[in-house]
Amino acid sequence: MRNTMSKGQRTLRGVVLALGAFVFLFPFYYMIVGSLQESPDPTVGGAFPNPGNLTGENYADINARINLFQGLLNSGIFTGAVILGTVVFGILVGYALAQLQWRGRGVTFSIALLVQIVPFQLLLIPLYVLIARDYGLADSYLGMILPFAINSTAVIIFRQYFLQIPKELFDAARIDGATELKLLTSVALPLVRPALVTVMLLTFIGPWNEFLWPFLITKEADLQPLAVSLANYISNVAATAANPFGAVLAGACVLAAPAVLLFIAFQRYFISTDIGSGVKG
Amino acid sequence: MSTKTPRTRRTLATASAAALALVAVTACSSGGDGGGGGNGGGGGEEGRGDITVWYSNNEQEVAWAEQMIEAWNADNPDQQVEGQEIPAGASSEEVIGAAITAGNAPCLIYNTAPVAVPQFQKQGGLVSLSEFEDGDEYIEERSGETAAQYASEDGAYYQMPWKSNPVMLFYNKDMFEAAGLDAENPSLATYDDFLAASKEIVDKGIAPNAINPAPTSEFFQSWFDFYPMYAAETGGTQLVEDGASTFTSEDGYAVAELWKTMYDEGYSSREQYQGDSFADGQSAMATVGPWAIGVYDDVNWGAVPVPTSDGIAPSETYTFSDAKNIGLYTACENQATAWDLLKFSTSEEQDGQLLELTGQMPLRANLTETYPEFFEENPAYELFGDQASRTVEVPNVPNAVTVWQTFRDAYSEAVIFGEGDIQSSFEDAATEIDELVSE
Amino acid sequence: MTTATSPRRTGGPDRPSGAAGGSPQKHPLLNRIFGKHPLGLIFSAPYLVFIAIVFAYPLGLAVWIAFHDFYFTAPGVPVDRPFVGFDNFRTALTDPDVWQAFGNVGIFLLINVPLTVVLSLVLANGLNQITRFRTFLRVAYYVPYVTASVAVVGVWLFLFNGNGLVNEILGPLAPSPSWLINSTWAMPTIALFVTWKQLGLYILLYLAALQNVQQELYESASTDGAGKVRQFFSVTVPGVRPATLLVLLLSTVTGANLFTEPYLLTGGGGPNGSSASPVLIMYQRGLEQGNPDVAAAIGVILIVLVLILAYLQNRFAGERN
Repeated sequence: MRNTMSKGQRTLRGVVLALGAFVFLFPFYYMIVGSLQESPDPTVGGAFPNPGNLTGENYADINARINLFQGLLNSGIFTGAVILGTVVFGILVGYALAQLQWRGRGVTFSIALLVQIVPFQLLLIPLYVLIARDYGLADSYLGMILPFAINSTAVIIFRQYFLQIPKELFDAARIDGATELKLLTSVALPLVRPALVTVMLLTFIGPWNEFLWPFLITKEADLQPLAVSLANYISNVAATAANPFGAVLAGACVLAAPAVLLFIAFQRYFISTDIGSGVKG
Repeated sequence: MSTKTPRTRRTLATASAAALALVAVTACSSGGDGGGGGNGGGGGEEGRGDITVWYSNNEQEVAWAEQMIEAWNADNPDQQVEGQEIPAGASSEEVIGAAITAGNAPCLIYNTAPVAVPQFQKQGGLVSLSEFEDGDEYIEERSGETAAQYASEDGAYYQMPWKSNPVMLFYNKDMFEAAGLDAENPSLATYDDFLAASKEIVDKGIAPNAINPAPTSEFFQSWFDFYPMYAAETGGTQLVEDGASTFTSEDGYAVAELWKTMYDEGYSSREQYQGDSFADGQSAMATVGPWAIGVYDDVNWGAVPVPTSDGIAPSETYTFSDAKNIGLYTACENQATAWDLLKFSTSEEQDGQLLELTGQMPLRANLTETYPEFFEENPAYELFGDQASRTVEVPNVPNAVTVWQTFRDAYSEAVIFGEGDIQSSFEDAATEIDELVSE
Repeated sequence: MTTATSPRRTGGPDRPSGAAGGSPQKHPLLNRIFGKHPLGLIFSAPYLVFIAIVFAYPLGLAVWIAFHDFYFTAPGVPVDRPFVGFDNFRTALTDPDVWQAFGNVGIFLLINVPLTVVLSLVLANGLNQITRFRTFLRVAYYVPYVTASVAVVGVWLFLFNGNGLVNEILGPLAPSPSWLINSTWAMPTIALFVTWKQLGLYILLYLAALQNVQQELYESASTDGAGKVRQFFSVTVPGVRPATLLVLLLSTVTGANLFTEPYLLTGGGGPNGSSASPVLIMYQRGLEQGNPDVAAAIGVILIVLVLILAYLQNRFAGERN
């Protein structure tokens, strides 16, 4: 079946994909090259590493000013907790929204949508007052995690994927006497594995790159995630660095690197064709 | 699959209903809460004990604050101070505003922007320093005449004038030389001089631009292009005085016309430069305060007062102060300790440390006479020490940030992008600003 | 709200209600109150509690603020906060900056949303068919999404600068003034940036959705003599419609909540506000200038507009089935 595509079409597909990859990767590549430059070079030639203009200085500078390990650890705790909360509770809600009929389902889904729509800036100060004053969670991991604990986009995505599982699978299992929880864990979950990884990555991005909230809620440098210290570095310290532009880009690379590496490590779990075979029985 | 679509649509249709329901439920409860009951904040002016202070997170100020706190803690074991960093950037006002609202602001913030003081005061976040017995006396004795600019509309001080960064015109000596200009005694006193020097630099390709103040729209950007020159041109007039804007004057238009020419001729760039264009050798001049001296290590620079149309003598030229002050916040329980620390940290000794460690100018009367040795050893700072006595602050008026944003928008349109007529843009902005300050 | 419990609607043609579990017979009273699967409520309880705490309360307060003369104060400061009806909305809607910001977001959405949907579907489809370089390409598409805006903005500024690489390559074709300071091009450049940045997520969503399009459909279309292009339009596009709806919704919402990009890329919505967004104006009015009441009013208007837009998208993109 795959062979019905003509040679011309295959070439076109290859060109489109390659062009896409170039457009996507180029600024990133440019970022790495820029972060290694001693002085910025805006010409076309500047896009290629020039041995005479290469330095690790920009990175050494960051390492000297920021406790990278502590930042990484804090980011890990913050992000890990958010992913855990989102996956555990998000799956439950997503499943309930897609496959169960209960009163309030429509409202719950509407709320999940509404959460998407409301800009965070509108809620910022009331939320801060609530968490810092009423709950007394300033300068704690919990206060940092709480507003992000369950990602509503993830809930919607889970629901979307649970919806795509044919009803017949569940009905068959229900007739066999499986409980709903068992249905969820042994029938539904294995089928939505691509969604699970998608959601984990999507959820990862938010807290990993979030700057404003953790910064507002924590004043103790020991608690601040990497994004906060790097954003501080970029906005403050970088201007006084020898090559501010390179320093900014180096900060960007340090922040992006763990995310990209994690993605590369886990990407093979992304797309699984299990769902197709599962449906066929 | 056919059943999914209608269901999605129905649920979406109920979204607005759900929103309204949410609002109805929460509005009742928040009505009371929002009214600002809550537990009392201020523990009183008599309180003594441990306190927390925040300071800016740039390396030099951190060094100063750490030694200051260490010195205090050594002498006051029963009143320990804990220091924390907050960023120096634009977001620090948000952080302070949120902390005031939540009631968890620290006792002192060594990074309180004068422009934000009216708002913090309105929020009930700041303690009037005038209420301390020796408050007014201490402030006025330390800062002299300059102090008056920091008093609020009710006449009381809600901020301790702390340090300024009087803005001057830096120039790159090497570039001036390359352009055939006098590098040691540059002729930069008048607008004609300034334009002529700019022309030489750009025409001869010495640097892509002559001077590159940030052309972006943040409310505070006018402090580094229009305002220093306006202060100089008017001999020390604030943007707003006696409840009315002052910039719709010959002086205001003259400064605006100058900058418009700079942009029109391409001497200044309408595009934001990433980083510091002066430090990177992308421009030959810059309007900055002395904090930048450390940054300009690699540049062979000189500094002169900002130009005026007629070339006012340097010893009479005013400029923008770019000050950062100290606020005592109402959430503080041990305000007596805080006031003592405030005085300790602005003592002659600690001010000397500040000068030494940060190169920023304590807002002290007779600065150069108080620290003769420092200025002798660091002649580069002497100019700034002298200039520090002739500075103009942002006006302490209601809605100060909105006032500056309004001004910036008009300036950006008429001057930077040259759209429309300067006079009518400024007049419209002035009308709006007059309304804002009278609120 | 009662749709879920109405047997008339739940018993769709492909959903034989009799087979869906035996619980309705066991607990008639429970089921009448909580629906056919009360467990759904238990599953959702943690999420609902979470929403009530961190979302409903601040949102409710924000809406309350929009109808009052309000500013934030320290705890214990007695201030009068009179109900002012629609005054804050009037202030917001008589402000030309606010109109301009909403107009800007309109332009943004017109460019960004179609571009996002088309590009992500085409790229995902292509990616789905190949086996070589698949890993590399997937990583490539995802990288911008992973990276913080704060970080990549720097590169874009450098690229789209007046004498940056893009203009260097375009030569005489480069716009003057350059992209981000050109009142015509600033918003499209931002739209392009956001498309680039977010596309990875949407490609992932489509890739996952493509796994669910049944191979039999392609096979039968192929037997009917449909070429690859016809198959794309007659099998793939309808097959991923739920994902398309999701992509539409998410990209619209992302666009409506645009903030970081005009804040960082065009230095606060310049030139002359031609790239300001409603959220940026909210940020300026509410957090910088201390008028949270007007900011909240703008926020409420924005939310209502997005709800209308999402409703329309669902109506038109979802109906064709």
